[in-house]
Amino acid sequence: MPNLSSRIPQGTLRFIGSRLFRSLISLLLFQVILFSLIQALPTNIVELGDVVAAHGEGLEDFQMSGSAEPAWQQFITWVKDFYQGDLGKSTSLGMPVVDILKERLPRTLLLLLPGTFAGFLLGIWLGKRVAWQKRGWLELAATLGGTAFYTSFPPWLAFVMVNAFGLSLGWFPPEKIIDPMKWFRHDVTINEVILKLFLTLGAAGLTYLLFTWMTRKYFWFRSWLRAVGGVVIIILAIIPWITSYYGPLAADILYHLALPLITLTLLSFGETMLVMRATMVEAMEADHVPTARAKGLHDSQVRDRHVARMAILPVLARFILHLPLVFIGSFILERVFYWDGMGEILIQAAIDNDLPVLLGVLSVVGVGILLAYIIFDLLNLWFDPRQRIIEGAEVLIQGEI
Amino acid sequence: MREGSIGPRYRYELGWRGFFLIHLHRIQRSLRRLIGQSRLILEKPIGVIGLVIIAFFALMGLIQPLLMSTVWDKATYDPFLGFDVAIESHPSLPSRTHLLGTDYKGRDVLSQLAFATRTSFVVGVVAALIGSIVATFVGVVSAYYEGAVDTVLMTLAGAFLLLPPPVVLLTVGLIIDMNGLQVGLLYGIFAGLGSLAIMVKSHALSIKSKQYIQAGRIAGGRNWRIIRVHILPNLLPLLAVNMMFIVTGSVMIEALMSYVADTLTRFSWGRMIWLIQDQFRGGIVGLQWHVIIPPALAIMLFCGAFYMVGHALDELVNPRLRSE
Repeated sequence: MPNLSSRIPQGTLRFIGSRLFRSLISLLLFQVILFSLIQALPTNIVELGDVVAAHGEGLEDFQMSGSAEPAWQQFITWVKDFYQGDLGKSTSLGMPVVDILKERLPRTLLLLLPGTFAGFLLGIWLGKRVAWQKRGWLELAATLGGTAFYTSFPPWLAFVMVNAFGLSLGWFPPEKIIDPMKWFRHDVTINEVILKLFLTLGAAGLTYLLFTWMTRKYFWFRSWLRAVGGVVIIILAIIPWITSYYGPLAADILYHLALPLITLTLLSFGETMLVMRATMVEAMEADHVPTARAKGLHDSQVRDRHVARMAILPVLARFILHLPLVFIGSFILERVFYWDGMGEILIQAAIDNDLPVLLGVLSVVGVGILLAYIIFDLLNLWFDPRQRIIEGAEVLIQGEI
Repeated sequence: MREGSIGPRYRYELGWRGFFLIHLHRIQRSLRRLIGQSRLILEKPIGVIGLVIIAFFALMGLIQPLLMSTVWDKATYDPFLGFDVAIESHPSLPSRTHLLGTDYKGRDVLSQLAFATRTSFVVGVVAALIGSIVATFVGVVSAYYEGAVDTVLMTLAGAFLLLPPPVVLLTVGLIIDMNGLQVGLLYGIFAGLGSLAIMVKSHALSIKSKQYIQAGRIAGGRNWRIIRVHILPNLLPLLAVNMMFIVTGSVMIEALMSYVADTLTRFSWGRMIWLIQDQFRGGIVGLQWHVIIPPALAIMLFCGAFYMVGHALDELVNPRLRSE
């Protein structure tokens, strides 16, 4: 194992350090803005607090806005509690907000992460191919189709999918996370199974990455090697599930996941595809492309390694900008499919004026977006060698956003 | 007054009439340039398709009040209170008198659809204008004055990045019942303070390093004049592209807000679907497919049209931005 620190340039480390520092400042400022925004909302919590006080029940539940403390003191209390893992108590459900989030977060991630990822990969794959074909009608059709999916009203698309695949064809269940009939004998919560699924996925992914790193030197047949390795890893990951007690339960969750996941993928792939197509068309005109052809490389090699790799950077930049819209699409789908995730509780909390829950969910969403931006910056650093060389990497990355 | 600043001297020598004429000429010139540039969009088929759809919706929004005052009877076709007594049972399927049928309260669907177009235009246009004004102000000031101002504004933008307008609207909009103008304002402010400000700033920085800015400074141009004459016009293409995407996002979010929760102050396509949400869920449409499909398609076409125009503009503008 070579010394890692010698392979990472100094500028990169400094960049990552300053990026993390800036993220921390942004997070604090974000909390100030979020708290003032929520505090400024006219809600009827105060009257509710008064009613409860008049009935002699605990007023401490309503400290969020009903107490006599000035707002800045409430804010300091909230931030202190936030970093100690306490987000207050829900006013409509009477549960600690942290418990609600712990229950809801895995379910949301189970839908959101694969949906976003699949949409991104599908968009890259389709955009690459459509641009490479160089046919006018195909490009127009792809553009119209991608736009139609991307801008279709999420409940409407869900409605069409439920009607087509859920009710008419009967392939997938139209709603809910699980079928209670299969679960009532088992003493397992949904989140345990979801957590195990994530662990399997993470372990398999890491193993595959390690495998690609190990095979990097066998240049001529490494793609075959990696394909075979990938299949072997997938089989190895599935075997314990088939034999285990959790197998049928996980299968039930995945069976219910299918329809929302397909809908979310359809909603999110259009943007990536359109941007990928446009940047591919530009990248195809670069001077190194004829050179690669003249070397006698295979068509797909030119496309994937010499053009797509160059075209992918602006796609990432645009993808991260449109991520909030994908988040919202997923939240709405949760409500439509009765998928008890964070989006469902966010909307319900807003309707019920449940401020502690709102603060909690919005903080989690903000942290999620912050993480996405950090990952995006690191990916940028990885994809774009120019940034690793140049000392002032910060300026370039801001330019990409 | 410093030597060489041209504007005020003209004002002094030519009087108010000359001042007025010079500015009229400037506006004419910039308008002509804008029209000349926007003609390029006709080369892109998706841009043309988008513009045609936008024109169609604009026509629909304009023609509804006209029809109401001439052909359509007020008691029958009013989008809120209309009721057709000639039809036995509501909801009724499309017929000759009601081209898209009526909903369960006996109101004409086409009239509602056309009336709701207004809300979408108000939300989209207000959000796009406010968003680009705010983003231009923050981005240009931050890029031009650098130093402490830049640090403060960009830290603020970094924080607003974590509060994207769709998420904010989906919470705030469900607590406060806002009209279309307010929805547009809120979306514009949050969009303009966040990602768009950072984008404008990085582009303004690249403009600022150009030699003509140096030349302008040497000629004695003051800060405000350099910003106005040299930086702002070069930001316009970038802003135009992003305005289209803001329209798409804001109209979509407005529809989602109206779909998720009850609202009394604005009537939009999302609300048309909300009104029959019970039938909508679970795939039981029954007699009401004609009430659901038009607003759903209208949202898709409207957002898609602005999105396509934005994409066509992006393909025209962006290669130039990148090559600079």
